[in-house]
Amino acid sequence: MNRVRNTKLILWLISGFAAAIALNRFIFGLGVTTNLNDRTPWGLWIGFDVMGGVALAAGGFVITAIFYIMKREEFHPLVKPAVLTAFLGYVAVVFSLLIDLGLPWNIWHMIIYWNPHSPLFEVGWCVMLYTTVLFLEFSPVPLENFSRYARIRNFLMKYRFVFVLLGIMLSTLHQSSLGSLFLIMPFKLYPLWYTSILPIEFFISAIALGLMMITFESLLSHWIYRRKPETDIIAKLCRAVVWVLLTYFLVKMIDIIVEDKFAMIFNGSWQSFLFITELLISTIIPAILFAVPKFSRNSKVQWTGSIMVIVGVVLNRIDIGGLAMLGATGDSYTPMWTEIFISLGIISVAALVFLFAIEHFNVWDIQPKEPDALPHTLPSFDYSSKTWLGNPDVSSLTTHSLAFVVSFAVGMFLIPGSRLHSKGIENVKVNPASGFDTLFINGNRDDRFVKFPHQAHIAWLKDHNVSLSISYGNNELSINSIDSCQACHHLSLPLEKQSNCWQCHSSMYTKTNFFNHDWHAAKSGANLRCKDCHTPAETRSLRSAKKCTTCHPSYKFAAEVKNGKEKFYALSYTDAMHDLCVSCHAAESKKLKDKPNLARCTTCHKTYPEGSNGLPESLAAGLKWKINPPKFNNVILPEEKLVK
Amino acid sequence: MSKGILTDVTKCIGCLQCVSACKEVHHLEADEPRIWQKNDGLSAENWTSIITKPGNRFIRKQCRHCLEPACASVCPVGALHKTKIGAVVYDSSKCLGCRYCMMACPFGIPRYDWDKIVPHVEKCILCYDKIKDGEQPACTQACPQKATIFGERSELLKIAHQRIKENPGKYINKVWGEHEAGGTSVLYLSDIDLGFLSYPTNIGNKPLPDKTKTAMESVPFAFVGMGGVMLGLNWIIRRRMEFAKDENKKKDSADE
Ligand code: SF4
Ligand code: SF4
Ligand code: SF4
Repeated sequence: MNRVRNTKLILWLISGFAAAIALNRFIFGLGVTTNLNDRTPWGLWIGFDVMGGVALAAGGFVITAIFYIMKREEFHPLVKPAVLTAFLGYVAVVFSLLIDLGLPWNIWHMIIYWNPHSPLFEVGWCVMLYTTVLFLEFSPVPLENFSRYARIRNFLMKYRFVFVLLGIMLSTLHQSSLGSLFLIMPFKLYPLWYTSILPIEFFISAIALGLMMITFESLLSHWIYRRKPETDIIAKLCRAVVWVLLTYFLVKMIDIIVEDKFAMIFNGSWQSFLFITELLISTIIPAILFAVPKFSRNSKVQWTGSIMVIVGVVLNRIDIGGLAMLGATGDSYTPMWTEIFISLGIISVAALVFLFAIEHFNVWDIQPKEPDALPHTLPSFDYSSKTWLGNPDVSSLTTHSLAFVVSFAVGMFLIPGSRLHSKGIENVKVNPASGFDTLFINGNRDDRFVKFPHQAHIAWLKDHNVSLSISYGNNELSINSIDSCQACHHLSLPLEKQSNCWQCHSSMYTKTNFFNHDWHAAKSGANLRCKDCHTPAETRSLRSAKKCTTCHPSYKFAAEVKNGKEKFYALSYTDAMHDLCVSCHAAESKKLKDKPNLARCTTCHKTYPEGSNGLPESLAAGLKWKINPPKFNNVILPEEKLVK
Repeated sequence: MSKGILTDVTKCIGCLQCVSACKEVHHLEADEPRIWQKNDGLSAENWTSIITKPGNRFIRKQCRHCLEPACASVCPVGALHKTKIGAVVYDSSKCLGCRYCMMACPFGIPRYDWDKIVPHVEKCILCYDKIKDGEQPACTQACPQKATIFGERSELLKIAHQRIKENPGKYINKVWGEHEAGGTSVLYLSDIDLGFLSYPTNIGNKPLPDKTKTAMESVPFAFVGMGGVMLGLNWIIRRRMEFAKDENKKKDSADE
């Protein structure tokens, strides 16, 4: 059991996994690797990584204010780790942004193109400056190890107060400006969260969160390195946070009462439950816990309370960053697992850097070592176990890099290729048309039918000696023998049974391979007569098979040539229907001067008066069971669903 | 001279000529239903769309070219901006891809190239290239029914009010876009309620950018103020500590 090494192992595993996902995000784009969409363009990465991340890094400015400005010397042991956490937090935020932005290589544009009206512009600048300031604040610590740079270090130490002051000022700005980001969306954000004092609420809650992050980070790292927690100093933070939380609670409540939204808290909607939960976890319970002096000195309560505030305030950021908007946008965004792992991965990398820093620099007053470290032995490579023995730094490096590589590979393997290569096109099964003489085509799931008078078409085709050619895929289909059903039903099933469009064109929007190998194999005696189609003594593949047209000369196939071999496929249902119907209608409408409407979309795609669907009552009733509820990409808006 | 478009819902026959004209002019590709699209037919490849409502009502959706656009006010790099002629245009070379504009638009207009590796924001630009040379947009030109027409915004408003007056009972007595969200350059006349075009059915008449103005204007004050407060606090605390030291010294000397 080695806590340090196991912690690191887990962190390395997650980082490897996340790295694989991040790579795919850049290769395939945001659409297929996340659940972000046109209704929810900001998701988990903004809500949690950026907004939560900045809030979580608030410990830096809070502790420096306490230590340097208010001169509370007893907090000295907490300062350096907190500044380090804040610095890493901001770097993590920048990295999350780089992954979330559509054009991350343009991130520096904020420096040259200004729009001071935009809260995001201000946040961007502050984050940029504050990260630099944090870097300057922290760099004296690692510089201590290098006497060469003593001059720089002295310089930085001399102006430390200036950096601290600047840091606090910048933090005030962007912690609150993160709230201003949402001021422009009163129409999206649920009223319980939306208020014109969002920036102020954000600032106060950031202070509370900052205090609790210092607490939590100290407790956690001491647990990992099995050291005695700094319970007494932490108790002071816990008592301080009570006041901050109280202020936060009062400001929030007064605002809600003034804006006359109090009744909303108990209106029973999911948002109201979310709001109550958030307020309980982030404010009420921890404030009560820490208000009891005995509790605030108890390290178990310190753990619980700090975790609650952290989870609660981050939940608040996630709510405002998107969750509490889902009601208004009507979307059902849930982060895809890839998004979650990227977030975890960024935290893991930051944590690893943190652990590295406290092991190598004087972040703590006493520098920890990985336990069982034998600093004076040179590592030796053990050939039987293929690992480095002796120096744990090196030997764990082998394990850890191995963990990284393995989980990277697993990550690459687990990302569903079908989703990556789908280009985000929905895979929708086609609903068969129903009816006989008049067909009702409800291929799409939008509950609107295209009426297709089959008999009328046959009659019309017989009357007019139609001759025209339609191109579909790369092929030409000539309709000139109107006697044959094959003109439209271009592939008949065995025994000359009629074929229906959806049987081959089975996918609404994507082309499909309709060749049924099992069926052909079974028909000709499985495993016995492969040579009927495949060239004998060659690998049995598409390459060695006969063309479909060899046996079915009268069928019309769409084909594309790939690697010198023809590949047959069925067009998507929409393409097939439009190719067939529209090309004929368009051509005919030109000839018939009196019927110019024949080729207009609305001639077939009609909306019928509510309820009737334009169908005979009896038929409409019988059809209902087949109708799928409209889904995401449906063209009509939900409230007009015709059949419930 | 601020141009605009007036769309008369009662005249539209839903022929989609405007949609295809727009696609042609702006070289937009064929659209396929993607998992990230919204229900209104707009997409990265469709800058305008026809929403069908019961009773064969067709409503053309497109960017409203707000007089005070929320999208332009939030863009951190000013990639979107309102031109003098009325169009809200997009400069893809500035854009970061933060998608704040998509979040802020009350009409849910801007779309994203979710499938591209170099994605941009996509929306109607009021055919800026054409109108600045005195031509009219492709969509209004293509409309066979003159259901959607182009002109000076003030003229269009006059026409709209005139139509309402001349056909009593035909329209709802309101020109959509005259006042909403501070007014928009794209106006609608209709006999059915068009509230569904914006996120909340009633977004009010105040321009949205005003909401952030106070907060953004107080930024410098907050910055300097916080600095002042911290310095002051520091000064007081130091003095107190010095006092305490002096007191201690005095006490020590008194003890001796
Ligand atoms: S409708 Fe939306 S995208 Fe168009 S100008 Fe207004 S805010 Fe911008
Ligand atoms: S996505 Fe581009 S255009 Fe939209 S706000 Fe961000 S930088 Fe501006
Ligand atoms: S104005 Fe131009 S860009 Fe906008 S919808 Fe019409 S054709 Fe498309």
